[in-house]
Amino acid sequence: MIALSDFLILGALLFCISLAGIFLNRKNLLILLMAIELMLLAVNINFVAFSHYLGDTAGQVFVFFILTVAAAEAAIGLAILIVLFRNRRTINVGQIDSLKG
Amino acid sequence: MVFEFPNFVPALAEIFVLTMACVVLIVDLFLTERNRVITYLLSQATLLGAAVLTVSLHNNSTELTFSGGFIRDGMGDVLKVFIYLVVAVVFLYSREYLVVRKLFKGEFFVLGLFAVLGMMVMVSGHSLLTIYLGLELLSLSLYAMVAMHRDSMPASEAAMKYFILGAIASGMLLYGMSLIYGATGSLDIGVIADTLRMSPGDDMVLLLGLTFIIVALAFKLGAVPFHMWIPDVYHGAPTPVTLFIGSAPKIAAFAMVMRLLVDGLGPLHVQWQDMLVILAALSIVAGSVIAIAQRNLKRMLAYSTIAHVGFLLLGILAGTENGYAGAMFYVLVYALMTLGAFGMILMLSRAGFEADEIEDFKGLNERSPWFAFVMLILMFSMAGVPPFVGFYAKLAVLQAVIDAGLVWLAVLAVLSAVIGAFYYLRIVKYMYFDKPGDESALQSNFDMRATISANGLLILGLGIYPSGLMALCVTVLR
Amino acid sequence: MSIEPVLFYIFSAVLVFAAVMVIAVRNPVFAALFLVLAFFNSAALWLLLEAEFLALVLVLVYVGAVMVLFLFVVMMLDINLTPLREGFIKYMPVGLVVAVIMLLEIAVVVGPENFGLDQVAPPPRHGADYNNTAELGSVLYTVYAYPFEIAAVILLVAIVAAISLTLRRRPQTKYQNPAEQVLVRREDRVRLVKMEAEKAGSAEGAEGD
Repeated sequence: MIALSDFLILGALLFCISLAGIFLNRKNLLILLMAIELMLLAVNINFVAFSHYLGDTAGQVFVFFILTVAAAEAAIGLAILIVLFRNRRTINVGQIDSLKG
Repeated sequence: MVFEFPNFVPALAEIFVLTMACVVLIVDLFLTERNRVITYLLSQATLLGAAVLTVSLHNNSTELTFSGGFIRDGMGDVLKVFIYLVVAVVFLYSREYLVVRKLFKGEFFVLGLFAVLGMMVMVSGHSLLTIYLGLELLSLSLYAMVAMHRDSMPASEAAMKYFILGAIASGMLLYGMSLIYGATGSLDIGVIADTLRMSPGDDMVLLLGLTFIIVALAFKLGAVPFHMWIPDVYHGAPTPVTLFIGSAPKIAAFAMVMRLLVDGLGPLHVQWQDMLVILAALSIVAGSVIAIAQRNLKRMLAYSTIAHVGFLLLGILAGTENGYAGAMFYVLVYALMTLGAFGMILMLSRAGFEADEIEDFKGLNERSPWFAFVMLILMFSMAGVPPFVGFYAKLAVLQAVIDAGLVWLAVLAVLSAVIGAFYYLRIVKYMYFDKPGDESALQSNFDMRATISANGLLILGLGIYPSGLMALCVTVLR
Repeated sequence: MSIEPVLFYIFSAVLVFAAVMVIAVRNPVFAALFLVLAFFNSAALWLLLEAEFLALVLVLVYVGAVMVLFLFVVMMLDINLTPLREGFIKYMPVGLVVAVIMLLEIAVVVGPENFGLDQVAPPPRHGADYNNTAELGSVLYTVYAYPFEIAAVILLVAIVAAISLTLRRRPQTKYQNPAEQVLVRREDRVRLVKMEAEKAGSAEGAEGD
């Protein structure tokens, strides 16, 4: 039998990997966006697991909406990335520093 | 599961705004550059219509509909009416700036209206799901609005920073919500509160979920140490968008804090009070001190926002009805003051000149004594000098904190406010005692001048007679 | 011992491996493909949790649409990869320590002590006639009609934002306008010129043209 805690620890592991990814890849915007997708995946695993063990569909419905929003978010994030790239010819966050103070 | 057909009446304003946003989107397609003003007028009509609907449906009872996902209550109605008012003034102030810079496009108004809808959903959210969706609707519209000036390097950088940090905050919020769902078994705010009241409050799972939610709220509000995005986004975004981000969404964020922490996780008050104390203390001190070093007015106002967020949190963390009413009063007054301050930047700017450096306000008194006086009112009010309304807002939250027994926090806040008064007064000094850099008269059209004057006089009037708005806040929160 | 724990550990191991690779590889194309692998494995895990509809949606929407969008952007932008790795090694120790501490803290809270088999018993398996899609669909359009509408608005905002941010009309680009092509009339294309019949006397002048 698989315990609920196994799924939750898996979700926590993914969440921490994505946080570490955001921290380590501060320079590469594309990987940053992918780390954010990974973070939402961790959340989704939590919700699906809770939903199954609680016998309640609300968690699965929430995941359905997170998937929808994440798709919209990815579209807007990539659109902003393209605008930035056209202005700057780079996706290196280290070079993006015209705002300081 | 028994399904009850929803009652659409409490949500009529939301339905109206959604319909009109779609109408504006389509009408805008068929307009030429010359009569784009129709988009603007339709957007203003939408906000006016929504205000009429919200006011006419207002009563002091609480109604739930859409299977508990939507709540209409007194607090929500007042906050929504203020959101319409603030956004209408934002549109009005922005118009000339956008026209001059060839940014006067339909998307600004369409995305603005969708952002208003998102705020309304947040204000009326009564389940974790609807609050999250409202927040995302607001945030996604704002990300796009910041990036709207496509050829501007700072604007696209600001949009990217805003997007990344906003998305991380959403991830944190969702992780916290998943733990709360797991611990209570429900997404409904009311059911969560009932479950928490029955069970003892030392459950580690709940605490962990609460921590994640508070971190996310701090990100969204811009409380220290999660404030890094605020100065960059305020500075980089086109000034009308900065004005938009700085004003109405703070009202919605207040509503979100109230719904999540007070209505939903209220039984955990002891636990979240400590966390908010840290956030509030750091925000007030850091915001007040760092603002002194700023030369750019938009950045300075960004740090001043951080300090104001700290004061707002003071009212909420007190955990009493007076504290919540004080915080609500504070956020409404803050939105009005921000409108005026950024409105002045917009009014002084013209083609090729942004007027967002503090030096640009030098000698304003010689150029226009009246608007220098309006700016004086706004700065004194933000600094918290009596008899302007900002003083009463600070007084209300400080009173609540002292009643809650946190005297040291109140003393710290007052000391920081005194330090903070320095940079507001520096602008007043520039306006009245320095020679102007350029002597040209102010150019702006009549509605802008009239509204900004009304905005300043409203701050003055509320300062002389604050009890009306205060009584309203107390009534709707009872 | 049933097969389910074995499947769980296999899929979880691959999922964690893929997730680590997403953040550790140098090339964004590889990262995107590892993310696809991660999505496939979590879809398999969701099947173990009887969330069949979401597992399929994850593969269709995420792998089929979102990741393709990512790959499309990676290919479209001409990215210089070398400077993007700067700082990765430098921040590695701090990042790892913070992540591990955080993981331990979360794991203690959500671990077997609170959510083990003794605390939360697994629910009985549904029968063969159980339809996860029908169950979700029946609440999605009734109880959750309001969130459903907001989600639709969010997608509309994404469309408006993506188009307004990235659409550029370049004046020098040549493109066809089908509407104009269809609506064209004979008069627009053929011009009938009435000319006087050639006369013998003017033949020399005509030749000179």
